[in-house]
Amino acid sequence: MMKVVVAAWLTCCLLLTGPLAQACRVCRPRVQAQIHTPDYTTNLLVLLLPVGLVLLIGLGLFFAPALKSRLTPTPRP
Amino acid sequence: MLLGAGLGGFVDGIVLHQILQWHNMLSNQLPPDNLVAAKVNMYWDGVFHAAVWVLTAIGLRVLWAASRRPDVPWSGRTLVGGLLLGWGLFNVIEGLIDHTILGLHHVYEYTEQKMPWDMAFLAFGGLLLLAGWALVRAGRADTAPRTAYGA
Repeated sequence: MMKVVVAAWLTCCLLLTGPLAQACRVCRPRVQAQIHTPDYTTNLLVLLLPVGLVLLIGLGLFFAPALKSRLTPTPRP
Repeated sequence: MLLGAGLGGFVDGIVLHQILQWHNMLSNQLPPDNLVAAKVNMYWDGVFHAAVWVLTAIGLRVLWAASRRPDVPWSGRTLVGGLLLGWGLFNVIEGLIDHTILGLHHVYEYTEQKMPWDMAFLAFGGLLLLAGWALVRAGRADTAPRTAYGA
């Protein structure tokens, strides 16, 4: 019974305080403006470069045997 | 190997970015010395985490495919070696590109001498590569049939 009362009380508290909990209206537009600058694409590409390179190397190693056998001409009997 | 690279990326992001807060993705270009700059860095850290999540997911898929190949030994040493190899490869490539060449960030931003930290990061990556390579080589001797593991 006590658990139900506590749960109901907490739910009421959350519902009452919920509308007050908002993101900072002052800094959010400034943050968005600093993210979406003309350098956005450059930043994105530069940031993803190491991950893309590792992905290429990993997939290249995995598919290397299949690619090698496809590119190497098989001797005709 | 891709799985190890993805997990290594998460170690970097979780331990160095979030817990120790030594650097962020763009912390050398946009020092997080105010709330707005910190939140912008947080955004680019999120993009980095999303990318290594994709790397990890692809790594899992490739591991699944590799587990069905007859030429891949069913070996714990091969698995751990591949993970270390991937982690080391990620550290070396990320260290060279982001820290040394582009200077997006350094391993430890809160010091005048950033180079030793960057070099230590690269050296750690090199050690991981060596350890991973040794384990993968040792795993070639593991030729136990998969049925022995119930696979």
